[in-house]
Amino acid sequence: MTDALAAELAADPGAAASAPRWYRSSFWPYLAAKLLGAAISFLVMLVIGFTIFNVMPSDPVATLTRQHPTSPSQMAALRKQLGVDLPVWHRFVNFVGHTLTGNLGDSWQYHQSVGSLITERLWPTVLLIGSATVISVVLGLWLGIRSGWRHGSFFDRASSGVSLVLWSVPTFWLGLILLVIFTTGVGPIPTNLFPAGLMSTPGYSGPWIAHVGDTIHHLILPCLTLVLVIFAQYVTIMRSSIIDELGAPYLLTARAKGLRDDDVRRKHAVPNALLPSVTVIFLQLGTVLAGTITVETVYSWPGLGFLTFQALQIPDLPLLEGTFVVLSGAVIVMNLLADMLYRVLDPRVRAQ
Amino acid sequence: MTFASVTAPDDSTLIVKTKTPQANMPYVSVAPNTTPIVPQHIWESKVKDLKNFRNTDFPVVGYGPWKLVGYKPDQYTTLEVNKDYFEGRAKADRLILEYFKDDDATIAALRSGQISAAWNLPATGYKTLQGLKDLMPYQQIATRWTGVEINPGAKSRTGKPLGTGNPILADPKLRLAMAYAIDRETLVKKVLNGLGTPGVGYVPPAYKQWAWTPASADAITFDLAKANSILDAAGYPKQGAYRVDPKTHKQLAFRLGTHSDDANDQQIAPYLVGWFKSIGIKLTLQPQSMSGLNDNLAKGDWDLLMDGWSTPADPTYLLSIQTCATLPKDDGSGGNTDAFFCDPQYDKLFAEQTQAFDVKQRAAIISQMQDILYKANCDIMFYNNNILWAVRTDKVANFRTGEPDADGSYPIQNLFISWKNATPVGGNSSSNAGLWIGIGIGIVVIVAAGGFFALRRRSTAAERE
Repeated sequence: MTDALAAELAADPGAAASAPRWYRSSFWPYLAAKLLGAAISFLVMLVIGFTIFNVMPSDPVATLTRQHPTSPSQMAALRKQLGVDLPVWHRFVNFVGHTLTGNLGDSWQYHQSVGSLITERLWPTVLLIGSATVISVVLGLWLGIRSGWRHGSFFDRASSGVSLVLWSVPTFWLGLILLVIFTTGVGPIPTNLFPAGLMSTPGYSGPWIAHVGDTIHHLILPCLTLVLVIFAQYVTIMRSSIIDELGAPYLLTARAKGLRDDDVRRKHAVPNALLPSVTVIFLQLGTVLAGTITVETVYSWPGLGFLTFQALQIPDLPLLEGTFVVLSGAVIVMNLLADMLYRVLDPRVRAQ
Repeated sequence: MTFASVTAPDDSTLIVKTKTPQANMPYVSVAPNTTPIVPQHIWESKVKDLKNFRNTDFPVVGYGPWKLVGYKPDQYTTLEVNKDYFEGRAKADRLILEYFKDDDATIAALRSGQISAAWNLPATGYKTLQGLKDLMPYQQIATRWTGVEINPGAKSRTGKPLGTGNPILADPKLRLAMAYAIDRETLVKKVLNGLGTPGVGYVPPAYKQWAWTPASADAITFDLAKANSILDAAGYPKQGAYRVDPKTHKQLAFRLGTHSDDANDQQIAPYLVGWFKSIGIKLTLQPQSMSGLNDNLAKGDWDLLMDGWSTPADPTYLLSIQTCATLPKDDGSGGNTDAFFCDPQYDKLFAEQTQAFDVKQRAAIISQMQDILYKANCDIMFYNNNILWAVRTDKVANFRTGEPDADGSYPIQNLFISWKNATPVGGNSSSNAGLWIGIGIGIVVIVAAGGFFALRRRSTAAERE
């Protein structure tokens, strides 16, 4: 139980008995309401996505056939085959129908199902984003808590300064600098310490554990680049949340009870200060799926961001719509999870 | 291609009969951009339904010294030696093509030895490789041109005007003056770092058989004074910094469409704006996505557009996109034209060259066609950029480059001819999986990194609030 709830309960003794019942009884309606909200968001997102991609002034067939000898009649046949000449409402019905049945169609440029194209790249993306987010969250929260608790100290100024400088650095620039330093070698750093790209060594043979090691070897530089750029937001949010809590009366109470400074921070201040960070972590998890295109490009990482970029160039509408559904769906799912987690972390949400 | 019949009377003969004479038939099976001839005994056991066969199972059905045996999406392709290749077995057991999405990463992979060779290198990165130990950077003659197209009055096949192009650009004198206001030498020096040649003919210089240069009297060089005098004589008076159309009294102001994801376009555009300003013509930049640009092009909604084409050895397609037959229908659909150029004389020559079986005779006709295009100034050439290669000599031996010409440029090579006799040297050969060579391919992509970064930053700023 957190201090916020304790304070509420202290103010209203009658609430103490009703809170657990509230929690039990309201969970399913709460979940249902959130699920319904998520479903509505998803449908609205489908309409918006379809509208954006279909009002885009472009002729995919002209782009697909550029540099290939194609007669006007062949182009007309291609338009018919791809369904570009269908009326807009027809295409919309197809799109919604396909999405809801999980069939995202075939990519125009890859001649492969959109589902398989996305699946092939989902795991590398999740690996990169997942590892970078976990490291950033742990590092950022730890630094944020320490900095906020002793704000104005040398440690605070150093950690805030360094993280904000890195936050301001363009991701592709930092990625390139790290890549050049650690692959071609500078000064005492040997050549070829890390690979200059890809996710695995071609032609590599060995036991599975060696493959895991090889993947980690390839993962280090892109992951480090992402961590260096994104950890600052956790530092700043956690730091300011902790500072907000510093003056709270419950901390004074905790100190008055004779708790050690570390315990006051860990058991009382941090749980309350964690809430804004949770929102950011989950929102970030949803959005970075698409936002890593610069890192994917610098390190030739086979991810979803680059696939989306390639789809956009034609535009390869089935692929574009497929990646849009997956990426936007990820944001909606992450928001839903954050809402659920909020109930666990914050009793005030349960009491509403 | 209009095939009437295809027969194979014996194991080494293929007879293709076409409905009409086709002088470009000898090029049909010249790799890599054309159709390989695959004998029936190779494919029949794997192909049940020829019409719907997608050729996506490994090893794929194909032709050449290596077989395509594996592909990791967006990472690499594995090629394994075809022991039975009819021209002899290749020396390397495996070739691995690694895909790099970033030019600088490709250069770093070359320098660190992760890959043994790479091509399509950027000019700046290429320069950093010169003089390094164990690296041989070299240039292949351009198969591509970059230039600007000018809308001479977009029309449908029946002559119906299309789009929003400025009608004054139909004046050939205005387009000629523009051609005189382009300093091609400077573009080669500044944009290509000197790694290319100033553009002249419509067919790129890699193919000597189609080489053409204008008669000295017709040659257009950079000459702002001459451009100004052409415009003066044509009756475009200056009012302030810019000239005006004497009939409408409107400023000579045009849109210049550029590819927003092409770094070279962004470098060229300011030069063009400056040169044109000095002859009294105002250009407004309109950076667009490739698909947006193509869409505007088809509809005729443009004045000037950056343009670029590459071609295999047979230039039929490149020549065809300048014929009247590629103009769109009245509703704007069904077209495939490059710049809405249409000239009956050109069309007549195009038809003639498709039936000229003697290469010299065909070259003479293609020369006349290039002459017509040169004088029309609907496609003004900037430069031909050389293809930049680098090979690690400590990793690969016997790589075939051909002999350089007087300028030090090497001939264009079909990929597998370069690699067929290549042998891995040193580290690669110790691999237990056999001899293999890693090659890097730079995927030509320039990510608008700044844009993405700014977007991400904005969204997070909003979240913070």
